[in-house]
Amino acid sequence: MENKVKQIIADVLNVEVSELNGNSSPDNIDVWDSLNQMNIIVALEEGFNIMFSDEQIIEMLNIDLIILAVSEQVK
Amino acid sequence: MIDMKFNDIIRSNRKLENSRIENPYKIAVISNIMVHQIKDILEYSLRTEGIYTDVKIGDYDNIVQDSMNFKDKNSVIIFWELSNIVDNLQWKVEQFDDVKYQQIINKVKQEIDIVLNNLKSTPLIIFNLFSSLVFRKTSLRDSKFSLMADELNSYLLSLNKNNLRFINIDKTISLISINKSIDLRYYLSSKTLYKTDFYKSYIEHIKPIFLSLNGKTKKALILDCDNTLWKGVLGEDGFDKIKIFQEIQYMALDLSKNGVIIGLCSKNNQEDVDNVIKNHKSMILRDDDIIIKKVNWNDKVSNLKAISKELNIGLDSMVFVDDSDFEINLVRENLPTISTYQISKSEYLHTNMVESIKNEFYQNSLTYEDKKKKDMYKAQIQRVEAEKDIGNIEDYLKSLDLIINVYIDDKSLVSRLSQMTQKTNQFNLTTKRYSETEISTFIEDNNLIVIGIGVKDKFGDNGIVGLSILNIENNIAEIDTLLMSCRVLGRNIEYKFMDIIIFILKNKKINICKAKYVKTYKNAQVADLFDGYEFDKDLYSETESNYKLDIDKYQSKNFNYIGVEYGK
Repeated sequence: MENKVKQIIADVLNVEVSELNGNSSPDNIDVWDSLNQMNIIVALEEGFNIMFSDEQIIEMLNIDLIILAVSEQVK
Repeated sequence: MIDMKFNDIIRSNRKLENSRIENPYKIAVISNIMVHQIKDILEYSLRTEGIYTDVKIGDYDNIVQDSMNFKDKNSVIIFWELSNIVDNLQWKVEQFDDVKYQQIINKVKQEIDIVLNNLKSTPLIIFNLFSSLVFRKTSLRDSKFSLMADELNSYLLSLNKNNLRFINIDKTISLISINKSIDLRYYLSSKTLYKTDFYKSYIEHIKPIFLSLNGKTKKALILDCDNTLWKGVLGEDGFDKIKIFQEIQYMALDLSKNGVIIGLCSKNNQEDVDNVIKNHKSMILRDDDIIIKKVNWNDKVSNLKAISKELNIGLDSMVFVDDSDFEINLVRENLPTISTYQISKSEYLHTNMVESIKNEFYQNSLTYEDKKKKDMYKAQIQRVEAEKDIGNIEDYLKSLDLIINVYIDDKSLVSRLSQMTQKTNQFNLTTKRYSETEISTFIEDNNLIVIGIGVKDKFGDNGIVGLSILNIENNIAEIDTLLMSCRVLGRNIEYKFMDIIIFILKNKKINICKAKYVKTYKNAQVADLFDGYEFDKDLYSETESNYKLDIDKYQSKNFNYIGVEYGK
């Protein structure tokens, strides 16, 4: 699941998966702006067939936290 | 594409950037809500159809300003969301008094006028009609919100502009459901109303408009007979036991009236099928509607190739319908550019397929030539017969009584001339696609000469079949466009056409004529045309050849059996 999350984020941001780690976030990746943040959320919801809660969306501040949010929904 | 995930579309679309061309098809999407997710989906959808597209998204809630900024695009798509005309109008509007309500209506009408005026030279505007569906889906009472949508829409529909296409997005929303179309979470947090699933279906819905404008509309519908035009196998069940499939036959009849070539490709005895077409009481398609028949026991791949050759149309301009797994797969494997549809034995499943097939033949406007096409192709088949009888090509051409009619800067031909730039692929030297608006502008421009030619002979009138656009600057003419419909090739019309062009330029005291051949994957047959006219070859490369002619040195080929008449 972690790899799939990273792949989706990499696709949206147009970067290599290897460039991403748990700390990657809008703060340290230039192209990760608010539009792409929404595209990532939309692509994750579509890719995993899940729906995040408002609180989860607010807390998805870096890749580790995104993976946590996805794992809460997928289980 | 409908089944692809958003991130897969983004990734695949980036890969297609390798095939970027110098002059891509440019679309802007302008909106008063956030629509940025449409970009990759729209680009990907058109790029995979062979139309290399760049999409620009306007700024949030900036329709009027953006209509100024995006004048130079080939097309502009407008998402004007009623609920965001005033922030959260869907809640507020019911409280408005008549004065306030009318103010809003007037303001939007005024903005619509400004936007459409700014975009008056843009070849295509796709304008989504206003919709109240999402926010009033269960309301029993008339609401001001719905009323407002209706009133604005009737204003829009009263506008008569030929670059404007209205799209009813309620069709897309109902096709995939409201829940799959919109996400109110993102609407409330960031004014993003539509989901990616909506964009995928919406683009599928409007795609035929772009295909038509880029010369990718299909031209011929080729039908199997047994279990396609009727239920049952003629050779086994017999004349009396087959049951006519009405929906597909009415569709074919309808298409044939609009200029689509209808053909049959069936494994059967020809006389049995002819008997059904002629004598079966329930048949809808009759001999008069069918241009070409390959009813025999040959394999269908050979038959389809033969049809393509005889009608002089590309395989990628054909749609083939059959019920059999075997035939459909054979064609898909051997002729992958033909669009294939496998028809179901259950008649109730035909409706969806029929709608898809109709869209393959979508045309932005119908011309006189489309409505007459059936007669023209029938005359073509008579000509082929006459040629067989006479044998010698020169004698045959002389016997035709060919006449070219020349029309210079004739406004009544705008829609046909524009259509020819969009549909002609083979005999087309520069393959520039022009909208009706652009052609009109050229006709009015004193530096441009727009020449249309019609061709007739003793078998019939082919209508307008050739176009040349000449650009004159500093006493030098340049042939911007030179094209002819395939229907009239092989009759030396192209040589007489050049005589006419040179005659017109001489009258204008022009001494030099420049010309260009730009290679596409379909126009190889005219690669040496200007050499044939004895123009001097100038700079050339793999993809482009430039030519120049000293007009005094032009040598006519003197095909005197072709008459020329001006402006009739």
